[in-house]
Amino acid sequence: MNTEAPTWRLWGEEKCEGAIYTVYLKKVRYHHPSRSITQESDDDEISHLEWETVRVRFLKAGTLEKLIESLASDTGELESTFVNVFLATYRTFASTRQVLNLILERYLALNSSCNKVNVPKHLREDHKKALRLTLQVWLDAYPEDFRDPPMFSCLQQLREFTRVHLPGSDLHIKVGYKLEKMRREEDIKGSPMLERILSCEEIRVHSFSPMTNGDHQPYEFLDICESIFAQQLTRMDTVLFKNVIAHQCLGSVWSRRDRGRGDSAATVTATIEQFNAVSFRVQSTILVDTELKPSQRARLIVKWIDIAQELRLHKNFSSLKAIISGLQSNPIYRLKKTWGAVIKDKSELFEELARIFSEENNQLNQRELLMKEGTAKHAETVHANDRHLHKALEKLAINPLAVSYGTIPYLGTFLTDLTMIDTAIPDTVANGLINFDKKRKEFEVLAQIRLLQGAANAYQLERDERFERWWDSVLVLDDKEAWRLSCQIEPQGSSAPSSTRESKMRKRAQFGHRKNDSIASTSSGSSSSQFFFDNDSINSPTSHNDTCSLERKMSTSSSSSSLPSLDVSVNSGGTTASGRTPERQTGTLQQGLSQQPASSPYITPDFYIIRVSIESGAHEVDGVNLYKSIMLSNSERTISVIRKAMEKHGFEGNPEDYTLAQFLPDGEMLLPASANVYYAINTQHDLNFVLRRRRHGDENTIIRRNPTKDHKIRKKLLMT
Amino acid sequence: MSKPPSDKLPTFKLVVVGDGGVGKSALTIQFFQRLFVTDYDPTIEDSYIQHTEVDAQWCILDVLDTAGQEEFSAMREQYMRKGDGFMLVYSVTDKQSYENIPHFYTQILRVKDRESYPMLLVANKVDLVHLRKVSEEMGRELAHRLNLSYIETSAKDPPLNVDSAFHEVVRIIRNAPPVDGPKKGKGKTKCIIM
Repeated sequence: MNTEAPTWRLWGEEKCEGAIYTVYLKKVRYHHPSRSITQESDDDEISHLEWETVRVRFLKAGTLEKLIESLASDTGELESTFVNVFLATYRTFASTRQVLNLILERYLALNSSCNKVNVPKHLREDHKKALRLTLQVWLDAYPEDFRDPPMFSCLQQLREFTRVHLPGSDLHIKVGYKLEKMRREEDIKGSPMLERILSCEEIRVHSFSPMTNGDHQPYEFLDICESIFAQQLTRMDTVLFKNVIAHQCLGSVWSRRDRGRGDSAATVTATIEQFNAVSFRVQSTILVDTELKPSQRARLIVKWIDIAQELRLHKNFSSLKAIISGLQSNPIYRLKKTWGAVIKDKSELFEELARIFSEENNQLNQRELLMKEGTAKHAETVHANDRHLHKALEKLAINPLAVSYGTIPYLGTFLTDLTMIDTAIPDTVANGLINFDKKRKEFEVLAQIRLLQGAANAYQLERDERFERWWDSVLVLDDKEAWRLSCQIEPQGSSAPSSTRESKMRKRAQFGHRKNDSIASTSSGSSSSQFFFDNDSINSPTSHNDTCSLERKMSTSSSSSSLPSLDVSVNSGGTTASGRTPERQTGTLQQGLSQQPASSPYITPDFYIIRVSIESGAHEVDGVNLYKSIMLSNSERTISVIRKAMEKHGFEGNPEDYTLAQFLPDGEMLLPASANVYYAINTQHDLNFVLRRRRHGDENTIIRRNPTKDHKIRKKLLMT
Repeated sequence: MSKPPSDKLPTFKLVVVGDGGVGKSALTIQFFQRLFVTDYDPTIEDSYIQHTEVDAQWCILDVLDTAGQEEFSAMREQYMRKGDGFMLVYSVTDKQSYENIPHFYTQILRVKDRESYPMLLVANKVDLVHLRKVSEEMGRELAHRLNLSYIETSAKDPPLNVDSAFHEVVRIIRNAPPVDGPKKGKGKTKCIIM
């Protein structure tokens, strides 16, 4: 139908005071447009006379004042595209306050009867409306611009303005609401304990797990079902990606490190940290046990390839690339014997997956894929030679249960594109006018990011706490260490260790300590998380995550504790195929535990796990019990346990100012300062404790009946 | 300057490495920016490919510059594996970026599993004389220590040595001794048909 000349034609540039416009000629119908849209057959009957050419101007560059004027068209209509571009990018050339001031000034000028603005009287109301709309869009789309505690001066200013000039308007109500909300959020932040509750998900993990999940044993890498693995990585990536503030990716923000980026790109940094965390885990899981045979190590590689394939199906290009990068990083890539033991099908699959990120033709593959699938329901695109991926996608296509997925892009490509735009296109043209064409260019990329962020809402993924505990427990190697282990596994040319005896000794020493290493590595967030368990959970084996039957089996059958001495997660990594059944695994574990009284999994030959909450009304929010799990060895005195508990809860001060008490069904037992806690506690009951500031008379108390003050917490803890 | 011949030319993959903020992207853009490109688009396929004549021999220069992705640390080696030659860029206004050069150097040699590899040390932003913290002497000393050639550049208008730097890497690649000694990894290093 559309065989005519293009309807847009570049006419030229037009300059005026403080602005340069690009002018296009556009062919439009002056006849009733509605008729021709609904009835295409009418087209033939429409004569040429029904077309006319109009001039359309786009602001190419201008002063900030001119940009503000351009938020509305000459006739006072909101220029929504312009507004979107402007709001997404203005931070690169003006502050929130500057822009707000100019908008409010213009509004007042339009209000006044004098002729400060060059707008005909009859259009002024429309122009004012456009400004009001702009402010509303701004508040809704970029509330963070106004988060300026403690005064929130821009919001204050705006509220004052609307109170005087727009009382009772939607805008006034919205501003008031935003201001209240931000103040409230700030108050919460001000309280250190609540802040921790909100920011530290770890607490939720701990407090909910005994109620919702019956499994406290950490996963082992080879046993984690690939689809769970991919889902969990995607779940983490989704949270981070949706939180990315797109304009933090702009070249002038992100790439100008020399100007001190500070906190201005925190959401971008967070996604990069996660990316690196995935790659590091690829390295460490494969390298950490230097004793494995090539075929055993190859299984670990294959496992990652399988996970990568799942990620491809989930359209999670971020973690997918992270895994590919990890496998292609030098310490892994150079392991020729290991790669030699990877079966052909899998190494072909790996190459297919790696090809997605080929840098050939400026990342053409990846860009095309993102275009095609960015907002599509499923992964669907394969390269002509992708034999293995093709099969997997076919399965996905015929699976009626396949849910629709969002897309997580690899953010790096956008960052490079924005860096290049920022480098290639000047910020200002002709005597310092703001180059708005550059902003349009940048917006194209930002809009793509925002579009994908919207699509990411399609992911509906449950959190799997066991997975997270595994994740946190993985030892992370730095560059040097990874390289060293890699060379130990397959010596590098002539520089291999010459003395075999020496290297054997070193290996043995390492073997002996390895467990401790991996335990220590969990300490960053929650040193006890790996060993956290609870007897009540046996009674509530309902797993909220039933996405994978294997996982269910594992979670219900592995109620026994995992002890450091029995935890074989790292060393046994390669000895079993990924097909190993969870039953067998737990079987061996239970054997090891057979001497323990089955009734209380807390009790172990070496230590107890106790849960310590803190006293105060503030620490209970939304049903979250704020307690920390602490490992209690058989030589610990009260003071050292208090110190540990204080550390975990982030308290400062003198441990002697605090007391520790065990909750009992009918009261509590205050531990004497000099007690050996291991022997002093009552193991007939739950090992729930409270840490509180020392009160007068505590020295003489041991048993206190039903303290009402802690009643609520106690009840909660006992209920779990 | 003769016309680029139409038959198959050798392709050199050149990788630009260095810390964030040292001006890598400016060098790359300066080298590729054709005259009057008003509508720059970083996403098109051939943004970073150019026919170039160096010492009366034509070649295709395919430049990989991952500016903006420096902090994706795990990825660097993946990119390095693809390079036939490297530009190691630091900014003379940023001492840290200078001190990080040996790290990139070592990483490249490890990835390539070689004792030496075509690389050029590039001291960028020399136009910022008053902010200069790394002298030419220090730059040359480092180059000498790593056995590399050294060049000073500025991508600011008028550019200094930008084309020369890219051309110099081509020369270094052409003059590099043929591969021997330790085998290369299983990577798909480009086969160059001369």
